[in-house]
Amino acid sequence: MENNDDIVLRVEGLYTYFHTTLGTVRALNGVSYTVPRGKVLGIVGESGCGKSVTSLSIMQLVPPPGKIEQGKIWFRAARRGGEWIEITQLDRHSEEMHQLRGDEISMIFQEPMTSLNPVFTIGQQIGETVQLHQGVDREEARQRSIDVLEQVAMPNPERIVDNYPHQLSGGMRQRAMIAMALSCTPTMLIADEPTTALDVTTEAQILDLMRELQADIGMSIMFITHNLGVIAQMCDEVAVMYLGQIVERAPVDNLFFNPKHPYTTALLKSIPHIGSRSRDRLASIRGMVPDPYSTVPGCPFHPRCDSFMPGICDADMPEITPVEPEHYVRCYLYE
Amino acid sequence: MTNEPISDNVLLQVRDLKKHFPITGGLFRKTVGYVKAVDGVSFYIKKGETLGLVGESGCGKTTTGRTVLRLLEPTGGEIIFNDPDLGPVHIEQLHRSEMQIVRPRMQIMFQDPFSSLDPRMTLERLVAEPLRINKVMHGQALRNRVGELLELVGLRHEYMTRYPHAFSGGQRQRIGIARALALNPRLVICDEPVSALDVSIQAQVLNLLEDLQARFDLTYLFIAHDLSVVEHISDRVAVMYVGFLVEMATTDELYYHPKHPYTEALMAAIPKPNPRMRTRPIKLPGEVASPANPPSGCYFHPRCRYAQDICSEERPSLRDIGGEHWVACHFAEELELAGLEAQQAM
Repeated sequence: MENNDDIVLRVEGLYTYFHTTLGTVRALNGVSYTVPRGKVLGIVGESGCGKSVTSLSIMQLVPPPGKIEQGKIWFRAARRGGEWIEITQLDRHSEEMHQLRGDEISMIFQEPMTSLNPVFTIGQQIGETVQLHQGVDREEARQRSIDVLEQVAMPNPERIVDNYPHQLSGGMRQRAMIAMALSCTPTMLIADEPTTALDVTTEAQILDLMRELQADIGMSIMFITHNLGVIAQMCDEVAVMYLGQIVERAPVDNLFFNPKHPYTTALLKSIPHIGSRSRDRLASIRGMVPDPYSTVPGCPFHPRCDSFMPGICDADMPEITPVEPEHYVRCYLYE
Repeated sequence: MTNEPISDNVLLQVRDLKKHFPITGGLFRKTVGYVKAVDGVSFYIKKGETLGLVGESGCGKTTTGRTVLRLLEPTGGEIIFNDPDLGPVHIEQLHRSEMQIVRPRMQIMFQDPFSSLDPRMTLERLVAEPLRINKVMHGQALRNRVGELLELVGLRHEYMTRYPHAFSGGQRQRIGIARALALNPRLVICDEPVSALDVSIQAQVLNLLEDLQARFDLTYLFIAHDLSVVEHISDRVAVMYVGFLVEMATTDELYYHPKHPYTEALMAAIPKPNPRMRTRPIKLPGEVASPANPPSGCYFHPRCRYAQDICSEERPSLRDIGGEHWVACHFAEELELAGLEAQQAM
């Protein structure tokens, strides 16, 4: 393993399949990427493209019948002096994996109501993580819970710490989730659509908070969303996924102002650009994402692509190629 | 708004609309209070235009849409539907049997394409249902009309015998559009029609709605929480906060020159899809007021950074400050609020 200090996570050739009675769903089809240290990597794509499975694979939380078939995930564990750990070698139930989850890598989910336990107070749930990983007693864990609630700008943390999830509003629950994820100051935070269920003013405040905390703590964030507006506001680098593959990876400015892959271009044209004062028709992408049980030969986007080249695009999968420094595309137009 | 007669180019005029839901409690389920979901909403929609209705969850957008159609009985107020053939009709005064005359003229399409279609009906029956119920046509004529409608919304004839589960979200939304258009309505209430769809599919449905509007001279009340989508599709936009309309203006006026502090906060909060336009949100302290127990005066005053004494005492009414710009704020003329900044297209 090379000793690159700027990377905290490296995923190589990851294949995660779900073997169902109806057939095999190839959720991830050879995904490779790295998460830069102290930066926000956005992963964007439509539903079913494999964004969430990517994060679950890292945490070894892919639910059965899903299975990591092939590929490697390395994580640089800060708590162990920057040693590379091969997550894919660990058993999902092993002590080492438990150590990583919550302590080194934390996760925030989309729906805060279903990811918080309704019968425990906010303080008990945050405290559990702290007690488990830092071996402190209950009193100290409670104090630590109040501290992190304060850190995420929760109003009145001394009271909230003894509240149950149903007593909080959606925005406050998401703040509590972020507090829980930050309680052990993780090296990497995976945020899976953390603001999708929230109203726009609450969303803006949560995003602002995450950006501030990221700058303060200097952790790496993997930010998964389908919303290109949120990507533009939050991320330093972006990976665009389509049907279980990364089709383009670029710094955020490049992605929005110099997109290369036909899918990225089409996606950007299909959203209303607020502030552009144009009432032009949106460019829609024809057809739809193919049914998950089928396999598309060649480039997975070719049936919907305007630059489709018969005999080339439908034959073999294009390789991911650099077009500029740090800008990679998986498309025959650039090979 | 005043009680003046409705002008010819207005299709729907709503005045002081109220919908209160009783809260019951205790052994005998006595009414202990009211959730004032819609509390004095006034607006108008001109013929052939799209009025966007935005606001955060629970602000009463959907209830407004349903009360206008009398899918929910209004608690108070006037709903005047100015159909060119029927003349102005006071919807709120109609008897149930009389509603059947205006129902075909006012239709609705729903947000959730997964729960708004009966899973046991084939596509053909789903689209034929409104025609059959209103006894518009039957037999071969009915089948032809269904075929025509499917073509209109871009669904293939072969799909006629399929059930809803066999369709994707975007296709189901097209079925909903075909059902809403079956009776040649004048007004269509679109309740979050694209919120459940992926962006590429969202663009297809938005384009379809625009094409159909141009072709059949439809008037839309477009209810949504996505401010970018509303900016794209609407001619004018109305903003709701806790059951009350706080601002209504042409789309450009509202987005670039908002006059209500809540609209200003909404504009600052939109996640702009441009990494060179990173914005800091305006902090709104506290939470959205409860429609069961709203604050005194202006409902927005506890969160408003410009609030003064009068704001907690007197509720401002929605008034025209010139150029069809309606605002419910005591200080609409004085405040210098920031709207969106125009940017060059990418």
